[in-house]
Amino acid sequence: MLAKTGIDRLDELLKGGIPLKSNVLVYAPPFIGKEIILKRFALSGLQEGDSIIFVLTDKSFFDMREEMKNLDNDFEKYEKEGKIRYIDVYSAGVELEEKSKWAIFIDSPINRERIASSIIQILKEKQSKYRVIFDSISTLIVYSDAKAVFRFLQVLSGICKRMNATSMFTMTRGMHEEIEVQTIKHLMDGVIELREEGARFQIRVQGCGEVISRHWIDYILEGEELRLTGAFRMGRVA
Amino acid sequence: MIETGITKLDEYLQGIPEGKSVLFQIEPGVEESDIAIHVLHHNLERGLHGIYVISESSPKNVEKKFREFNWEIKKYDKLIIVDGYSSLIGAPSEEKYVVEEPHDIRSYEDILIEIMESIDGRGVLVFDSLSNVMDMCGEREALEGIERINNNASQSGFTSIYNFISWPYKEAILYRIRRLFNAIIEISIVGDVVTRQKLEIKKADWNNVEGKKFEFKIFKPEGIRIYIPKISVIGPFQAGKTTFIKAISKNFTPVERLGATVGVEHGTVDYKEYRAEIFGIPGQERFLPLLDKLGSSSKGVFLVIDATKPQEFHLAKKMLERFSNVPYVVVANKQDLPGALKKEEIKTRLNLDNIVETIAIHGKGVYEAFELLMEKILECLNVS
Repeated sequence: MLAKTGIDRLDELLKGGIPLKSNVLVYAPPFIGKEIILKRFALSGLQEGDSIIFVLTDKSFFDMREEMKNLDNDFEKYEKEGKIRYIDVYSAGVELEEKSKWAIFIDSPINRERIASSIIQILKEKQSKYRVIFDSISTLIVYSDAKAVFRFLQVLSGICKRMNATSMFTMTRGMHEEIEVQTIKHLMDGVIELREEGARFQIRVQGCGEVISRHWIDYILEGEELRLTGAFRMGRVA
Repeated sequence: MIETGITKLDEYLQGIPEGKSVLFQIEPGVEESDIAIHVLHHNLERGLHGIYVISESSPKNVEKKFREFNWEIKKYDKLIIVDGYSSLIGAPSEEKYVVEEPHDIRSYEDILIEIMESIDGRGVLVFDSLSNVMDMCGEREALEGIERINNNASQSGFTSIYNFISWPYKEAILYRIRRLFNAIIEISIVGDVVTRQKLEIKKADWNNVEGKKFEFKIFKPEGIRIYIPKISVIGPFQAGKTTFIKAISKNFTPVERLGATVGVEHGTVDYKEYRAEIFGIPGQERFLPLLDKLGSSSKGVFLVIDATKPQEFHLAKKMLERFSNVPYVVVANKQDLPGALKKEEIKTRLNLDNIVETIAIHGKGVYEAFELLMEKILECLNVS
């Protein structure tokens, strides 16, 4: 069973999507499409009837909601149905006042305990297939250290699997020591990596079950779309 | 002696002697795990000093946490907050005591020693959380520092309480932690009927209570309650089950038609340190199959009988037999009516123990029955 990423040719590359109940790291430098992958993954889940939990450390639930609304007119409808929950680890810290019954506010990214227990609390509330979108691990590491975050993720990814959630975590390339990145990757079932090579953007998949190609593949950004343009049939790389 | 303020725990521990260190070892993911703040509050209420070290969230958030239980933080002039959080995120702090180097356990030590030396009198030092400080300062360094802090606290007449989230640390570190504290109390998640938490004393070096446990839940604003998610009330038709539930519950959902109960009733009992959800199962024969369904997940059962109708005792006992190994109390109701059989007589006829005489309609004896069942449930949990 697979969870579609919502990006057509990426799903093709992944032979249909990422395996259900797996956890995938999206590892990319800033501004080259990491967020698009997250949002498309969320929307594709909603379209398939899944529920979504956003864990946000770098923007408020309010901003995320606005951005999602711009992508899909049905987003508000999904929210009204209780299919979208936010764990907002940003707003309380910067004293934003927006409230919502769908959001849990945590005042600090150091409070990993509360983040974990809030996710569990939501997962337990109702029987549903969940997609957990965690943006980002980098912030957690910056506020404490990689080992502590590693232990946190070890617990969290176990819980997500047990409770039938498929999860996507992000990490920003360029912010961490190589050893930290390797430590976190070690915990994941797969990694979707983005990079900038000269003027080209490229994507690569590691792990994630069976895939067509594990090479770097070109993509372009068009507004809120990420389109794979490189060929990957029969192992060819463009 | 320091008390935790959690009645049952205090009863088991017989208080915490001054100078001891206690670790609350909390399974990650336990929602509202924060028992330490209750211990702090309880001792502030008793007029003792309280030092609260925070490292995971802001002083503002502490105020909020207090308010969730209707406690006013400003009221406690013997409370000192040590802010190990603000410098961590580079925020300004309004607290008098700020840990300037939150990555260095010595920075914590210096402040705590200074505070404890300046205070004349006993109190509690609550450290929230040990796991975070270990993550920040290095595991070994932090534990060495904590050992020094504990020694100092002990000399100053302070009892130290630690919150520790048991993330998957290395066994060597966990071993060290187990040796470092005088008492270890484990909090874990139980989730069979309704999610709740289990507290188990793993170690207490001043008395022999290892293995004592109970299940609880934290309610806002009421606080910590020993929590029983499901108790069934059974018994023959018209024995007074509904009256009994009404008499002990604070809220009650009746399902009655012409004075007979026609569905499962529910009530919540709040009594002393307990909270329990009780479910009344109607006594008509056609509801018997329900008993099997409910039997397996019930934590306890009240068998309500009409003490004036010994001819129904046989049926009553049959009903109870569907709840094998579940703690029970027999509620010998309608003691105000002529001909009501007394406890001893019923005991012989039913061959059952735990009988309490009641007049449910006047609320007589009902809490006695409730307390007895709570005791039996705890006994059962503690032998398993």
